[in-house]
Amino acid sequence: MDELELLKKDWQANSAREDQKISSKDIYPMMQKKSSSIVKTLFYISIAELLFWIILNSYPYFASAEYRAELTAMYGGNSMILLAITVFSYAIILTFVYLLYKTYRTITVTDNAKKLMGKILKTRKIIKYYVIYNLVMAFLSISFGLYYSVYNNPEIAPQFAKFNDKQMFVATVLMVLFTGIFVLVFWVFYRLIYGILLRRLNRNYKELKKLEV
Amino acid sequence: MNKELENSFVELLEKHQNIVHKVCRLYTNNQDAHNDLFQEITIQLWKAYPKFRGDAKFSTWMYRVGLNTAITLYRKSKRTIKTQEFELVSFKIKSEDYDDTEEQQLKLLYKAVHQLNDIEKALVFLYLEDKNYSEISETLGISEVNARVKMNRVKKKLRTILNP
Repeated sequence: MDELELLKKDWQANSAREDQKISSKDIYPMMQKKSSSIVKTLFYISIAELLFWIILNSYPYFASAEYRAELTAMYGGNSMILLAITVFSYAIILTFVYLLYKTYRTITVTDNAKKLMGKILKTRKIIKYYVIYNLVMAFLSISFGLYYSVYNNPEIAPQFAKFNDKQMFVATVLMVLFTGIFVLVFWVFYRLIYGILLRRLNRNYKELKKLEV
Repeated sequence: MNKELENSFVELLEKHQNIVHKVCRLYTNNQDAHNDLFQEITIQLWKAYPKFRGDAKFSTWMYRVGLNTAITLYRKSKRTIKTQEFELVSFKIKSEDYDDTEEQQLKLLYKAVHQLNDIEKALVFLYLEDKNYSEISETLGISEVNARVKMNRVKKKLRTILNP
């Protein structure tokens, strides 16, 4: 006899187990409990990501008048450029919030397994792009900030002014390198979080996709 | 949520709870994890219930939500990791043709099924539940042909696990 047929016979004959039966009065409290699903976790993480970068970007600006003045000075005293950059970055954040909200709404547990997994992974992709965007911006602004300090900061600029071309080149390479490493560490950290969180989901999705080939 | 909706849901779930238990039995190794997954499936079923339309059978709908929760949404809690495995099923076949070798074979079979990956388990589960390939393909989101091909591979895999 086919092994699975034997299993089926037993499964259908013995699968109702009285000892595990749950009564209706046990079901009511279960319905009120909070879900600990992966979608919920992803949702909280995406909110945390949004807040983290918003705070990181805006806190120094609102907290210190000195920093604000320095920033304005960096843009050649033209506060319009600063304003434009701020408006642009908030527009990007709002776009991401909208996209996230839209994809979260499409996730429904009654879809077929593959569709459901695909939609969750799409949400994760949006968060990923948000993180990439922020890391690129962080890289650019740190680089620009350093470049500005080298030429304009009254404490640092005179030291660099003494450098010859070769020394200047080495210093630039080092600065870019350190900024790069800083951004990379962030990126690895993110990959790790999502990698661990979505390992099983990715594996199962791949397994289903593999069947199509 | 209104009380009527709640009551009708609880009544249906109580009646069909065995489907959820079976999913839990297949995807967990101990009673704690079983209860945990049962709880999560209940939450997901309840959340989706207002959109449940009577045109699908409640049990069919449960298979989908149950499996989706087990395969995709459920995150294993910490306490489910290091606990003793419990016996899957009590293999007391109360028929005349009860024999020891069959029981041994069943034990091995259940063990082998537990070694399959999540998707393979889902296929075996639907197969054991007597679902046809069109239902299997709809639940998992793969084509009927691929469901058949995969099922044959799973059968082969089970055979190799049983006779290494």
